[in-house]
Amino acid sequence: MAKQTGDALSVKLNRQIGKRNLGMLIALGISALIVILSLPFMNWIRISYIRGFAEKYSIDLGKTPIFPGYSMLTFLGFVQKTKAGILGFPAFLLFFAVVASLVLHAVYIVNLIIAKPKRSNGLLGIYSFGKASNILSIIASAGTIWYIFFWANSRTFPGTFIPSPVVFIVLVLAVANLVIVKALEKTELKKYHDHGFFEEVRRNWILFVFLIPCFIYFLINNYLPMSGIYFAFTQFNFRDGLFFSPFVGFKNFEFLVKANLWPLTRNTILYNIVFIGLGNVLQIFFAILVSQVGVKWFKKTSQTLIFMPYFVSYVILRVLVYSLLEDKLGLLDNLLGNLTGKNIDFYNTPKYWPGLIVFFSMWKGIGYGMVVYLATIMGISDEYYEAAKIDGANIFQQIRFITVPLLKPTFIILLLYAIGGIMRGQFELFYQMVGQNGILYDLTDIIDTYVYRVTTTQAMSMGLATAAGLYQSVFGLVIVVLTNWIIKRRNAEYALF
Amino acid sequence: MKRSNEQASVEKQLNIHSTKIKKGASGIAFDIIKYGLLTLLALICVLPFIIIISGSFSENQIVLKTGYGILPKGFNTDAYSFIFKKPEGILQAYKMTTYYTVVGTFVGLSVTVLTAYVISRKTFKYRNVVSFLIYFTTIFGGGMVPWYLMYTSVLPLRGTTFIIWFPAILGSFNIILMRTFITGSVPDAIIESAKIDGAGEGTILTRIVLPVLKPGLATVGLFLALGYWNDWYRSSMFATDKKNWELQLYLYELVNKANAMKELVNTGVVLNDTMPTQTVKMAMAVVVTGPILLVYPFVQRYFISGITVGAVKG
Repeated sequence: MAKQTGDALSVKLNRQIGKRNLGMLIALGISALIVILSLPFMNWIRISYIRGFAEKYSIDLGKTPIFPGYSMLTFLGFVQKTKAGILGFPAFLLFFAVVASLVLHAVYIVNLIIAKPKRSNGLLGIYSFGKASNILSIIASAGTIWYIFFWANSRTFPGTFIPSPVVFIVLVLAVANLVIVKALEKTELKKYHDHGFFEEVRRNWILFVFLIPCFIYFLINNYLPMSGIYFAFTQFNFRDGLFFSPFVGFKNFEFLVKANLWPLTRNTILYNIVFIGLGNVLQIFFAILVSQVGVKWFKKTSQTLIFMPYFVSYVILRVLVYSLLEDKLGLLDNLLGNLTGKNIDFYNTPKYWPGLIVFFSMWKGIGYGMVVYLATIMGISDEYYEAAKIDGANIFQQIRFITVPLLKPTFIILLLYAIGGIMRGQFELFYQMVGQNGILYDLTDIIDTYVYRVTTTQAMSMGLATAAGLYQSVFGLVIVVLTNWIIKRRNAEYALF
Repeated sequence: MKRSNEQASVEKQLNIHSTKIKKGASGIAFDIIKYGLLTLLALICVLPFIIIISGSFSENQIVLKTGYGILPKGFNTDAYSFIFKKPEGILQAYKMTTYYTVVGTFVGLSVTVLTAYVISRKTFKYRNVVSFLIYFTTIFGGGMVPWYLMYTSVLPLRGTTFIIWFPAILGSFNIILMRTFITGSVPDAIIESAKIDGAGEGTILTRIVLPVLKPGLATVGLFLALGYWNDWYRSSMFATDKKNWELQLYLYELVNKANAMKELVNTGVVLNDTMPTQTVKMAMAVVVTGPILLVYPFVQRYFISGITVGAVKG
């Protein structure tokens, strides 16, 4: 019975009206309505009685104006103003749910207006945006209702907040829109011999079972901690604890900008640029040299030895560096002392460290990178070289005009990956080489070491450390997306995703 | 068959373009450059290890006066005697590190194979979605603080050994590498025909894929094991008790202690401790790295094949 009405609905909604079908036109209207109802000037939460709340949080209503209602996009402002940290965390998650639903609805609307089916799967791509945006709207609106009844009121002052009718309207509209898109999808799936999620689970359930451990791992290790970026907007104190400390907006970021964001960013990026540039040049250079060696034992031995530093830990690197540089004990320190007659106190002289860090980064990584490039050189056909020799090209010309140009694709791929990670420092390298030697921080402190130091030594600065980490992550993500966008336009083959 | 191909490609790589080039003047000049530079680089790569080994066999007092050398100064084994006089600490660290390495590598390898197998299956509708969700973790994250709090505050795992090995079992690179190994060694047609014959996914994985996946298992397993052996970070973050420390953290603390002692002596404090600070550090480094350098020559080719496969197919 339900199936029949579903099919009937599906048929009705799929009636063509010009370029689009009826369902798409209705969905377009509903989505636009949801977007309007989710904008900041639409109240989702109404303040019905503020006195009790104000008394509990000692707010002077004369000085701190409270609006009669808030949207989920502006409610965090209320949380910040009233210093009611307990309201923050769920409100923060709901804020992102609303933002994400707005973005996806916008994409859905644009796609519905263009209404251009893809050859491979028709309108299914558009419908998947429809599903995602409406599910998010349902989560946001239902979540807000839950939040008001089961969190905000019971944990602050009962009766302070009530949901406005707008939230219920959004919830109903989103459910209706989801039903429509499901009905539309059904015919489209049939047309392209595709199937939905539950059908896929039924067919390949064992593959889903195989994925369970991986799913649990990434949930615990990566995805759930993402919600912890909330700490970046709080001022941690032990009385309120992790999740309920006061929400302070961008205060941590302001502090970072004033304090050390610029030198940290500069160090992180500059070091990475040198690591990438110099590293690749050296790796290519020595890969070519090794590839040209004919004596088998020499080739094997040299490669084995050059690869060796890759296998030792950074703690060992710390010992190595120490044995070379320690004042009056290190081998290199003594050698330089004997040559120039004056010992350099490396561990107290910042200016040498950029060079040293770059050197040991190269030292540890050259074996690995060399193997990557050797793999590519191995793939170059001998015929090119034979032909070049017949034309009278000497060995340098062969390298210049055959090997190097053919290494370019590998180089570009590695470069793009590296640019994606340009905001991520090599924490272990810096931490083990410099340690807690504050004298050297000016030229050697990167975001990663800063975050580690703040977290492990100043428990109260949790918010600050999270803010620095979030800045790094967002900046890095923007760079990755930008790089990928540019590559896709120029040469889609190299795109990262 | 596939395995021998794999080996052959590695062999070939170690031995590319064997000299078919006739030597002119430029050829001879090039010979000098390449042998000279490669020897130099190899020396730079090995020299620090030699200093450490020599340092570990030196007499502490001489080192304190004249510094480290390429050859042992006043050859003796005092440092090793000192370490093994009271070996409980280091043996415990060895035991725990071995435990983390074995358990972490085994669990990690199993989960990596399962995941890689699923995203290698072309008939699995969501393989691109899953791949992207795995890749996405490498470009965006909550950062160190939320990650740390997840394990210690949200989950009641503080003080367990589980949180020292668990966070490193899976990695985006390892999963993609394993997938490449699977697609490279088992053609899709074989899997499809097995399905037609009525084999389930479990049977295909254990009977068809795993038997030919040995090079892949060895490579990813070794990457995992190396990571575990060389880690100090997780026990420095999570271990609440010294008995759960990893070997590298144990070495790290010893180095710090030795440096602090030297500072004290420099400022004029007289210590009654007989610890030969300088040489013990070096001896500890040797003891900690020993196992790796012993197996290194034998397992090197697996790393090379792993990097090669990863590089070529990206």
